[in-house]
Amino acid sequence: MIVREFSAVASNWRSGESAQLYLAQHGVPVIWDIDTRALVRHLRQCGALRGVVSTDGTDAEKLIAEARALPTMAGLDLASSVTCQQRYPWHEGGISLESGAGTAARVPGVPGGASPRFRVVAYDFGIKRNILRLLVDKGCEVTVVPASTSAEDVLALKPDGVFLSNGPGDPEPVTYAVENIRKLLGRVPIFGICLGHQLCGLALGGRTFKLKFGHHGSNHPVKNLLTGQVEITSHNHGFAVDPDSLPASDVEVTHLNLNDHTNEGLRHRTLPLFSVQYHPESSPGPHDSRYLFDEFIKMMATYAKAHA
Amino acid sequence: MPKRTDLRKILIIGSGPIIIGQACEFDYSGTQACKALRDEGYSVVLINSNPATIMTDPEISDRTYVEPLTKEYVEQIIIVEKPDALLPTVGGQTGLNLAVELAEAGILEKHGVQLIGASLDAIKIAEDRLLFKDACRRIGLDVPRSAVVRSIADAMQAADELGYPVVIRPSFTLGGTGGGIAYNREEFAESVSAALDSSPIHETLIEEAVIGWKEFELEVMRDHRDNFVVICSIENVDPMGVHTGDSITVAPVQTLTDREYQRMRDAAAAVIREVGVETGGSNIQFAVNPANGRMVVIEMNPRVSRSSALSSKATGFPIAKIAAKLAVGMTLDEIPNDITKKTPCCFEPSIDYVVVKIPKWQFEKFPGADSTLGTQMKSVGEVMAIGRTFKEALQKGIRSLEPHAPWRAPAEVSAALLREKLASPRPERIHWIFAALRHGMAVADICGLTKMDPWFISQMEEIITLEQQLAGITLETCAPGLLREAKRNGFSDEQLALLWKTTADALRLRRAALDLIPVFKRVDTCAAEFESYTPYLYSTYEQEDEADTTTNEKIIILGSGPNRIGQGVEFDYCCCHAAFSLREDGFETVMINCNPETVSTDYDTSDRLYFEPLTLEDVLAVVQREKPRGVIVQFGGQTPLNLALDLKRNGVPIIGTAPEMIDLAEDRKRFGKLLEELGIPQPANGTAFTPDEAVRVAQGIGLPVLVRPSYVLGGRAMVIAFDLETVRDHAGRAALIDTSKPVLIDRFLEDATEVDVDALADGEDCVIAGIMEHIEEAGIHSGDSSCVLPPVSLKPEVLARIRDYTRRLAKALHVVGLMNVQYAIQRDIVYVLEVNPRASRTVPYVSKATGVPVAKVAARLMTGRKLKDMAMPLIERDGVFEIAAGPFFAVKSPVFPFNKFRGVDTILGPEMRSTGEVMGVASTFGLAFAKAQLAAGQRLSRSGTVFISVNDHDKRSVVPLARAFADLDFKIVATRGTVAVLHSAGIPAEAVFKANEGRPNIVDAIKTARIDLVINTPLGRESHYDEKAIRRAAIRYNIPCITTLAAAFAASQGIRALQDRACIVAALQDLHATVRAPFPAVAADPGSRQSSSSGASSGVASRQAGPGKAALS
Repeated sequence: MIVREFSAVASNWRSGESAQLYLAQHGVPVIWDIDTRALVRHLRQCGALRGVVSTDGTDAEKLIAEARALPTMAGLDLASSVTCQQRYPWHEGGISLESGAGTAARVPGVPGGASPRFRVVAYDFGIKRNILRLLVDKGCEVTVVPASTSAEDVLALKPDGVFLSNGPGDPEPVTYAVENIRKLLGRVPIFGICLGHQLCGLALGGRTFKLKFGHHGSNHPVKNLLTGQVEITSHNHGFAVDPDSLPASDVEVTHLNLNDHTNEGLRHRTLPLFSVQYHPESSPGPHDSRYLFDEFIKMMATYAKAHA
Repeated sequence: MPKRTDLRKILIIGSGPIIIGQACEFDYSGTQACKALRDEGYSVVLINSNPATIMTDPEISDRTYVEPLTKEYVEQIIIVEKPDALLPTVGGQTGLNLAVELAEAGILEKHGVQLIGASLDAIKIAEDRLLFKDACRRIGLDVPRSAVVRSIADAMQAADELGYPVVIRPSFTLGGTGGGIAYNREEFAESVSAALDSSPIHETLIEEAVIGWKEFELEVMRDHRDNFVVICSIENVDPMGVHTGDSITVAPVQTLTDREYQRMRDAAAAVIREVGVETGGSNIQFAVNPANGRMVVIEMNPRVSRSSALSSKATGFPIAKIAAKLAVGMTLDEIPNDITKKTPCCFEPSIDYVVVKIPKWQFEKFPGADSTLGTQMKSVGEVMAIGRTFKEALQKGIRSLEPHAPWRAPAEVSAALLREKLASPRPERIHWIFAALRHGMAVADICGLTKMDPWFISQMEEIITLEQQLAGITLETCAPGLLREAKRNGFSDEQLALLWKTTADALRLRRAALDLIPVFKRVDTCAAEFESYTPYLYSTYEQEDEADTTTNEKIIILGSGPNRIGQGVEFDYCCCHAAFSLREDGFETVMINCNPETVSTDYDTSDRLYFEPLTLEDVLAVVQREKPRGVIVQFGGQTPLNLALDLKRNGVPIIGTAPEMIDLAEDRKRFGKLLEELGIPQPANGTAFTPDEAVRVAQGIGLPVLVRPSYVLGGRAMVIAFDLETVRDHAGRAALIDTSKPVLIDRFLEDATEVDVDALADGEDCVIAGIMEHIEEAGIHSGDSSCVLPPVSLKPEVLARIRDYTRRLAKALHVVGLMNVQYAIQRDIVYVLEVNPRASRTVPYVSKATGVPVAKVAARLMTGRKLKDMAMPLIERDGVFEIAAGPFFAVKSPVFPFNKFRGVDTILGPEMRSTGEVMGVASTFGLAFAKAQLAAGQRLSRSGTVFISVNDHDKRSVVPLARAFADLDFKIVATRGTVAVLHSAGIPAEAVFKANEGRPNIVDAIKTARIDLVINTPLGRESHYDEKAIRRAAIRYNIPCITTLAAAFAASQGIRALQDRACIVAALQDLHATVRAPFPAVAADPGSRQSSSSGASSGVASRQAGPGKAALS
């Protein structure tokens, strides 16, 4: 974490410990008291850079050499290194502010928990928990599976829908996932977010490319081309799908970034698949795009009805 | 969605005079709205009674009406202009209320005018407390719990259920009258019956008090397509219970997590949708219980507001401009962001700095006023500061307030005093928190007393910890790293100099040696994610500088800082005009100011904007970075003038009149000597440093005398003394303000007429911009007086002398730019009261009245251009050139904040207390006067009773005056002496006691609503006190009180015009055209100005002879 000023003071009714303690527990280093704006401007001008953090006084030249020796993000399958090792069920629902810092478990039979209506298998390419929580809130029984899980194994779980998660790195080398999506396409409703979206793009025959400095932050305007409405959205991605590379006969571009006009969403014209580049689970970030989870539910319901 | 093509002409209602709670932020937003709509090709018609605004400049709108903001006048304008739509959301509460009035009276419908921006229903839901609560509940949002009751028993039960404290809000009373807070049953029982009684329907709301809760505001925008964005989040450092306008606030929100913030954002979106504000900006306030996070919606403003102006300046996102475009059907995604050029306005600004806003109060102007801050706003202005951290922004904000000198609590303070100072919210509470921290009070204790969030107090504690570390060393022993740390935490050189018993100069030298200078960062709406094309900058101590200065020829304009009484929007107007004209002349203009309400701090106004405190340190840093050809100090009022000599000493090229000359004009002794050499009379005067000396001087001069400190604007601590005890008292009070500068004592000229003159000079030639005759008696501060341009009762030889003196003074002081001279005329002798070689408060009024943008011309003169090269309609009179005025009268009248300060002495005197002004324009003095009175909120009655009391000098005129009123069917009441005179002239009149003669007297008559107009021309000590009592009652009961004969005759003509139901409106564009062409149909009014008063005719004759472009030789 790099900040201009780090406050050691925690002051909030939900606070259990200081940020310092929390970050220390999770082994997150904090760099502070630097000109963060200068850093942002540097990245804006130079594009995303590799870097090294050092606290032991190593010579700068040596560190620079070390950073230069690091592989670039392009061509790296990072999903395989962050995914879970085994499949696991997820039961936690969204965080309630009223009940304090805890999370409300939405287990079937537990008072207050909605009884799950859909069985969702979520591919973990580096999945964010809030996605899982929102799926639970929407009435899904979620099973998280490792990134390399085969389409056959997924289908064997008899899911009502498959979710493709976000994750780090370049989508191109994650060929096994692209293959699996192709196999799943048309056999089960699919919803992808971020890396999951890029993988859909590739699976549908498109290309992806590396952005100069990516999209980061929680204030990106994205226009839903189906409704004409603009959503303020959370972003964190360094790659994007080239919309011109998608077969227009099969794929419809659904979302557009208004800042740089890059692609932010797509759907298959006939088969049950849609995906967005940004983070509708937005934690942190505005909740404008939460409707996409409802769309996923709707898609599963429609599909289930048609195939009942 | 493209803009609407079914609309062509749009009416905008401005917010009128500056009042507490409604200041120049509405000039900023109104100006933006007018410009935005014209940019989109619409024709804009503006009505605003306040001439001291940029928005009433004739270039800003197609048609500009400086007319009273009343239903009748707006309807008249609607009839004349036939607009298609009315935008009600950019003129503050005044504009919104008037729009609602027009809509409800069916006037809009009748003339086919659509309300755009907000519908009548939406406005009503947002503005009505109960309807708003219902709306919030419908969408599942929490609001403070409440009950509506009609009996004491029900009220007691409701309060018990809600739990104490509770808020009592009687239904249908104005301005919270009869309401309050009760902390226990006993207090409640006392208050609630009064509350029920004060309500016309015997009903009151009992509401859960959320005092001490965290307070937040979101500035949001919505368009026709239902796109919704939050522009800025604001957190109040002062918790609920202190009006947000009186709170120190910070942006963005500092103490909410993302989840909590997003919940608030969701709620805001739901509120604006449910209330139904279809397009534009709204401000939505929330309170959060710090103990459990319970969030309640407090209120909503369905329009641009003070907070939206602040948000615009805090983020770089121009809310009013965008709101105007949304109102005509555009959507957020099709409007480009000015700053990044490449991205659209449909986004949420992210800011990588911290903004702190601190209010400016002026309780010293209102002795007796309760300075406790509460639910009614009492501040007159505000400053905003930008820093990279809260600590830096807070410290910059504090030094942006004036006086700049670091505040120190008395050396010895008891714990009890500290506790009291922290517990009760008053203007200086922030300083007492620092004092408490210095005394070692624990953060938790301070939080307990102030209810401020511990995070804020901890930040302040960090400042004090650093301060204490610094206090142990000296400038010489301070390590460069620690000095840098201090600067990064916002410590000013002056603060450090105080700690280290050295000078700010020494600090600056040391920093220069260490190359420890600030860098400038940009406000760019996007935290550097995209390139910014607008140099909107703030200073900080960081690594990278983004000023990206050019090598163009630059002029820096120093703004006027926070609005104050005596230094308000007028000076901002002048600064903006300097920027406009010099940009036209090809200079790169650079503005420095710290007032977020203003047009000058719009990134559009100048080429480069530095949002910085106006202190020597901060200004020098900008000057050193920009290396300007010149710096203008004479437009921003006293604030930049106070820096002038120091700037010059530091090698800054001040352009215009030399600071030494400005100083000379302020220096009584040297200036007196100059007047003597010039043979220009001034009232006998002297200076004194001690009260004793003051008494001696006063004895030498003879009573009555004026006592005042030097170097202040707005007559701060100025008084007319009729006895030596008063002289002693006030000399002491004045000396308190600044012991290094003398107290000035002048002979007070009784029964004199005061005249203000604004003039332009280029070092060689002088042009008189306007001669303004005061309508009030001498002795009332010029800013508090009504005045008329051109003068109506001055004899030709007096005018000739005024012109001659003005020209010679300009020459003697080597004035380059503007000069204001105040004269008093007593028995045909013209005395100089004061000369200020700088822009004055009357400059915008003169510009509006004549059509010549005087400040623009002055700015050009300062860059070396000459008067003879300026295109202005001039005429030569008495050998002096003067800007030709059209054949109409412009009357300026002040507006006072007394209704905000209950229990304050409302008497007017030499200390200025008005917050704003209005202008009335008409072809007769009488109607212009009536319009100005109406615009200022003082309705001249069409019929009724007039009280007349005149001094011996005026006795000879009392008969024609009384006859004029008798002819208007007014009943006349007078004091016994006057009644006798009237009876002998055959005019019926009823006698009444003077205030000191017995009861019931005139004051009782005013209080029992028997009097509709007071005419009282006082003379001497006794009548002066009588006048005080009468005036006090008149202001309380909102009855016009006229103190000169000229004004009395004007009032009679005005009433005649009102009786004729004359509602004549004229656009400034037409009025100004008359200076060059014959007067248009607007002048079709029989009472032409020759009939106004003796003495005026000569001026009229020469003016009507046809002003041309007279050449200056």
